[in-house]
Amino acid sequence: MTFFAYNPGSPPFGGDFSPNSTLVKELGARYNGQVEHRAPEIDLNEVVARYRPVVSFKVKKSLGAQTPDWEDVVNEVITQVIEKVKKGEFRGDSSIGTFIYTITSRRIIDHIRQKTKVLRSVPEPSPLPDPCDDAESRERSRILAEAIQRLKPKFKEVLNLYYYQELTRDEVAERLGISPRRVSERINYAQRLLRKMIKT
Amino acid sequence: MKKCQYADKIDDYLLNKLGPDAKEQFEEHYFNCPSCFREMEERDALISTIKSRGAWIFKEEAASRKTDWVPSWKRALSSFTPRQWATVGVAAAALLLVVFGILPQFRHTSPRFVLSENEIVRGESLTLMSPIIDVKSVPTFFEWKSLGQDVEYRISLYNEGLLWSAVTRDNRIAIPEETRQRMLPGQRFAWQVRAFSPSGALIAVSSKVQFQIEPAQ
Repeated sequence: MTFFAYNPGSPPFGGDFSPNSTLVKELGARYNGQVEHRAPEIDLNEVVARYRPVVSFKVKKSLGAQTPDWEDVVNEVITQVIEKVKKGEFRGDSSIGTFIYTITSRRIIDHIRQKTKVLRSVPEPSPLPDPCDDAESRERSRILAEAIQRLKPKFKEVLNLYYYQELTRDEVAERLGISPRRVSERINYAQRLLRKMIKT
Repeated sequence: MKKCQYADKIDDYLLNKLGPDAKEQFEEHYFNCPSCFREMEERDALISTIKSRGAWIFKEEAASRKTDWVPSWKRALSSFTPRQWATVGVAAAALLLVVFGILPQFRHTSPRFVLSENEIVRGESLTLMSPIIDVKSVPTFFEWKSLGQDVEYRISLYNEGLLWSAVTRDNRIAIPEETRQRMLPGQRFAWQVRAFSPSGALIAVSSKVQFQIEPAQ
């Protein structure tokens, strides 16, 4: 587990602001570049555990889950995050989430640029694999699909129109003769029901 | 629990309905908001399943859609949430209370059709004939123009207050002796006649004519 020094960043309210106070001297020194900005304390194991799914989601969403090397991109992002934090490049100016988001976005753009260059010089790859390729996600999807089928017609109808047919909320509302707010309520309620059905 | 303000953008993000800036803003948000990320993962699984297996999931809906018919009144009723129904009920109760409970208290009173003694009815005019000017001696009778048969006249003689009053069907009436004795020279008097129909309805009121008995020389 790696820890880095923590710097509170801003002075607490109600502190001693007289010219000779320690706080004011430290702030003056920091302003004049005499004191280095210290990196916040980060638990990298916790960061990796928490942000790997978020980074994976963003990468899959941007590149498509069919892209075979999306996991490589995720690993590269995580590696970059660890390296940058160790080097003290994360100074706490933004949240760690924003810091990781920036690295992820840049890496995705780089990856797309590289792939574009490669695709110009090599033939098209073979057809992409099925999105529900791995057995586990296929099984989860099957269970969820069966649960959706068991929902009451009024919930199935709204899921069908909104997610499957991709009508707007207003269009769904008009089609069903209910208010747009009611559409959202039905979707949220359907999701709660599905959560319960899948757990049992 | 308070809902995150970005939670409403989850569906739009997953269905690619956000613009570039909003998309970027939302992505940065879910990197910082575990609650939104969990919700989004769950919603993504739902959408992915619906997208990949929708034809199978909704096959019954597709088959029955053509035969389903929902009456418009039923649709209108279903568009209300229980809370909205409760609001409608309370509003209706308040309206009934106002209409039947409060408004009647402020209702205007009915117009009054019975005239007081001093009110005049537009209609036939009643002309007084004698006396209409100052007189040298105490008059012996009052006379006015007749309004026809079966008309009852009520004559009133005023001094400072009502001095004498009588009823007759004739168009003249003698002043009783005892009244005449109370009518002293130098005083001012006024008299007026009201005419009534056989049913007792007021049909005409004369103007109030004043006269003075000239003082004795």
